[in-house]
Amino acid sequence: MRNKQYSVKVFETTLTDDNQFISFFNTNYKLFKDYLIVIHGDLSPQILAFLQEKKLHYLNNAILPKNQGRKALEEQIAVQQEQTQQVEQELLKLSDRLQNNLTVKDTLIRSGHDIKVDGDLLLLNRVNSGATLHVEGNLIVTQLVEGAIRCYGNFMMLKASPKANIVFHDVIVDNVLLKERLNRVELKDNEIRITPVLKETTWVM
Amino acid sequence: MGNVIAVISGKGGVGKTTTTANIGLGIAMNGKRCVVVDFDIGQRNLDMILGLENRVVYDIIQVMDEEATLSQALIKSKMNDKLYFLAASQTKDKTVLSSEKISKLIVTLREDFDYIILDAPAGIESGYEHTIEFADAAIIVVNPEVSSIRDADRAIGILDSKSQRVKDGAEVAKYLIINRIDAKMVQSGEMLSSDDILDILGINLLGKVPEDRGIIDASNQGKPIILNPSSAAGQAYKRIASRLCGEDVDMPELEIVQGGFLQKIKGIFK
Repeated sequence: MRNKQYSVKVFETTLTDDNQFISFFNTNYKLFKDYLIVIHGDLSPQILAFLQEKKLHYLNNAILPKNQGRKALEEQIAVQQEQTQQVEQELLKLSDRLQNNLTVKDTLIRSGHDIKVDGDLLLLNRVNSGATLHVEGNLIVTQLVEGAIRCYGNFMMLKASPKANIVFHDVIVDNVLLKERLNRVELKDNEIRITPVLKETTWVM
Repeated sequence: MGNVIAVISGKGGVGKTTTTANIGLGIAMNGKRCVVVDFDIGQRNLDMILGLENRVVYDIIQVMDEEATLSQALIKSKMNDKLYFLAASQTKDKTVLSSEKISKLIVTLREDFDYIILDAPAGIESGYEHTIEFADAAIIVVNPEVSSIRDADRAIGILDSKSQRVKDGAEVAKYLIINRIDAKMVQSGEMLSSDDILDILGINLLGKVPEDRGIIDASNQGKPIILNPSSAAGQAYKRIASRLCGEDVDMPELEIVQGGFLQKIKGIFK
């Protein structure tokens, strides 16, 4: 395949009257002899003969790619940029809630401890009776919770003993529902939903 | 350099002082120089359990305030010549304790003894904090019931934040003694099993001591139960003391009720 690329000047016209066309190109011949002339309309033998005689370059009924003006292009770019910014902001907001500086802890939360975490927390140990865990983001506890939990994230995942005091978005969760298995607790359409993650969860240590 | 071990529990009445007395005597029976120090200022008990109440002349506060020398205040046990006792003051209260004075006393005791056992007061007040402040290790005594476990958990939390070793970036070794285990009650589920307790507290088990009615009489007589070879609790304390002295002693299962003849026969056919 051999390719060449040219930039050519194009004059576009629509044919209505043969004589008018011939006289126009006769007078402006010097201007148009290096142009590519795009003619819309049927070409009569008279016109064809004229074009051949003058050795004019032409295309008949060709569709030209329409370029947009500079101003229109700039406007379009501006709109696109605004849209991307909006999407990015939405994503940022969402990710703020989905994963906000995750803390990973493997310490036993003992009685009397009052742990506050601004973002998300992944706790690989127990929360003992008498301890309080206050988490602004999402919470996952892989071992039994017997203490108090205050969680304000999108969801929390835990296994709680009936002794535990679990508050999710200022609502006390009936923790009989959380017993003996890992549960996902989330806020959807203004109601708290509790779904067991698995019947039995064995964490690979 | 001696080893400073604080005996703590959080909750009162779980057998902290009894444990201190028996472990102290047990360590001395293993041939190590051991001093037991009563840190329960204002409420001393350890002297009675060790049978030394009639021999207390000077107490720990007088030593700290330099009203008496350490050798004057140390009481040598008649039961074992490697065991010494330093009494708590019965008239003052725990507000007279200060970190500098305690530090100085413990440095002196470290030079003289292999093991320094501190009997902490119940609770988590300043007296408790002073007891654990300069300890290398702590023995946590619990009973298999929830309130004792929660209080012990709290005490461990304070130990992990207030001890000098932790402030220096090191760790305080923590050993658990489960006291007053009733095999029948554990099996029927009325008492927490030791596996549950170890799960909750997350520290190493040093030993289990069964419930033993003989302990009350032993305390009243001032003869620690460890001296009684027929007592199950006494034998348990003996094993614990040997473990503290670095011996590898196996841990018999105390939570299974020994079956009668019929049950044994059934066991064969299982």
